[in-house]
Amino acid sequence: MRESIIRLEGATKRFPLPEGGTITALDAIDLDVARNEFLTLLGPSGCGKTTLLHVISGFVQLDQGKILIDGDDMGTTPPHKRPVNTVFQNYALFPHMSVGDNVGYSLDIAHVGKAERVKRVGEALDLVGLGGYAARMPRQLSGGQQQRVALARAIIARPKLLLLDEPLSALDRNLRQAMQIELKNLQAELGISFIFVTHDQEEALTMSNRVAVLNGGVIQQIDTPRNTYNYPANAFVASFVGASNLFDGEVRRDGDKIVITTPENDTVEAVLRDERSLNGGGKLTAMLRPEQFSLSGTGGADNCAEIDVTVDQIVFIGSTYELLGKTAGGRQINALLSASHQTRIGEIEQSGKARLSYDPAAVHLIPADDAGAAQ
Amino acid sequence: MSWLRKLGDTSLTTYTVLFFAFIYLPIAIIVIYSFNSDPVNMMRWSGFTFDWYKQIFGFSNASSEAALYIESTEQLLAAIRNSLTVAAFTTTIATVIGTATALAIYRYNFFGKRFYRTLMFAPMLMPDIVLGIALLIFFVGVGMPLGIGSIIIGHCTFLISYVFIVVSARLAGMDRTLENASADLGANEWTTFRRVVLPQVMPGVIGGALLAFIISMDDLVITYFISGVGTQTLPLFIFGMLRRGIKPEVNAIAVMMLLFSFTVAALGLYFRSRRR
Repeated sequence: MRESIIRLEGATKRFPLPEGGTITALDAIDLDVARNEFLTLLGPSGCGKTTLLHVISGFVQLDQGKILIDGDDMGTTPPHKRPVNTVFQNYALFPHMSVGDNVGYSLDIAHVGKAERVKRVGEALDLVGLGGYAARMPRQLSGGQQQRVALARAIIARPKLLLLDEPLSALDRNLRQAMQIELKNLQAELGISFIFVTHDQEEALTMSNRVAVLNGGVIQQIDTPRNTYNYPANAFVASFVGASNLFDGEVRRDGDKIVITTPENDTVEAVLRDERSLNGGGKLTAMLRPEQFSLSGTGGADNCAEIDVTVDQIVFIGSTYELLGKTAGGRQINALLSASHQTRIGEIEQSGKARLSYDPAAVHLIPADDAGAAQ
Repeated sequence: MSWLRKLGDTSLTTYTVLFFAFIYLPIAIIVIYSFNSDPVNMMRWSGFTFDWYKQIFGFSNASSEAALYIESTEQLLAAIRNSLTVAAFTTTIATVIGTATALAIYRYNFFGKRFYRTLMFAPMLMPDIVLGIALLIFFVGVGMPLGIGSIIIGHCTFLISYVFIVVSARLAGMDRTLENASADLGANEWTTFRRVVLPQVMPGVIGGALLAFIISMDDLVITYFISGVGTQTLPLFIFGMLRRGIKPEVNAIAVMMLLFSFTVAALGLYFRSRRR
């Protein structure tokens, strides 16, 4: 059974602006995180994700709505009484304490006996691969090691929920990828729920059980990484999570298919699976991921639809070529083409024109209303 | 063009040497001539002696009675005792109040905060003479007897600012998320203050206290106005000696004050380096 560890109901927070008025950082957020779940909050900077984290840890009070941790209403409970620990973005290690004292800090506060403290600090440091570092000072460690100390310090008291505020953003790419896997393993090992904040969509897709995409203080979509990528709920999610080609326009039926005609007279074919997504309005947005395109005549299904583009640039990225171009109507197109068609790509670069094909059944349709709301 | 560069290098070196000579030569001369045995002309070297140091502490009467210049060693010792008493009380009071004010202004937002901060800076910029006269008029006005007590109050009025500024500078460089981290790990506000904030501002507090101590020991102008007739501090005592001509004992006293200041400053540096 799904057991809720934290629940937010209608959480709303407004901040006053210096020039008067207010800005809504969180707008009636509903969120439910299960025990042992890894949830990622994904969004651009200023979307409210850090505010949401502060609401959970208790540094920010809600204007409206409720927050329950393991069934207890947190209300005005101060941060130090909440069963939640945080890994801060800049690590926030106490510079005047050794690594061991940093990690053991919460145990000292809880008056844990000396022998047990030593044992648990050792265990926590072993867990993050820093056994034997207890006597060092934080400034003697590298960024990645400080990150691990912050992690050990946050998990030593076995909180019900661990909050991670963009903890990997200061690390270089290789280290970040290694830490992503480590964090994921650690989460599985500890059985603690993680709420992980990031603006890096790749990170979100790699690590999470579910991804909550935030924009403008509203959760745009909360779903598994696969569903978020393959079936974005609206245009914002489609363009923020991965690259996408969007075509919004009028819907015309054509047998068992539909044809969407954009205001610039480009047309995209698709298959309508759910009549409800039409919403009676006759408008839809079609989404095609760059990898859904292929060059016409290089194989693929018989029932492919095609679109002609003028090529602006072809970029070689190793396993694939990225084609940047425009449709006849002037809409930007981004397509990933297999590197196995070298000669064809050479011809395209010569002529500056390409015909791309795609499978209409794979085109994802976004209801027009939602697409509009996200703008 | 190498001769031009050479000329530039030479003049830069000369300038540097002259610059430091200008600052340190007078002090070096004082130190050297405090060991000069010539009792009349200070600037004529006539042999090495510890006499002036002995004389200050009342051990030696080798020189003639006419050359004997300090009327009594007791007076000097009383002045030193007064100075130390004033400095000790002033340092304690100024450090506690200055630190508390800096913490309050750092921690809380309240109406008139910026104005309050400016008020804390102002006594540092005030001319000593003005402060001295104002304090004298005030003490006389409220009927407070002049003496050790009035000197302590007078020193506190401007030394609180010094401590405030030093501690504020330290606080400004502090990472506020550390307090959040402490709260997040279960510590209440008092524990956070004791275990995270205080250890980090401590170098600032110690630095402010040492500064206050040295300035208090050293202050002449303000003390001159508010000391009254019966009380002498060390700077007032030396100033009194000078009014009757410069005598070799002054050199010896100056050297000992110098040593004392260096010791205090070295202690401060030592404590700072230990906390790094």
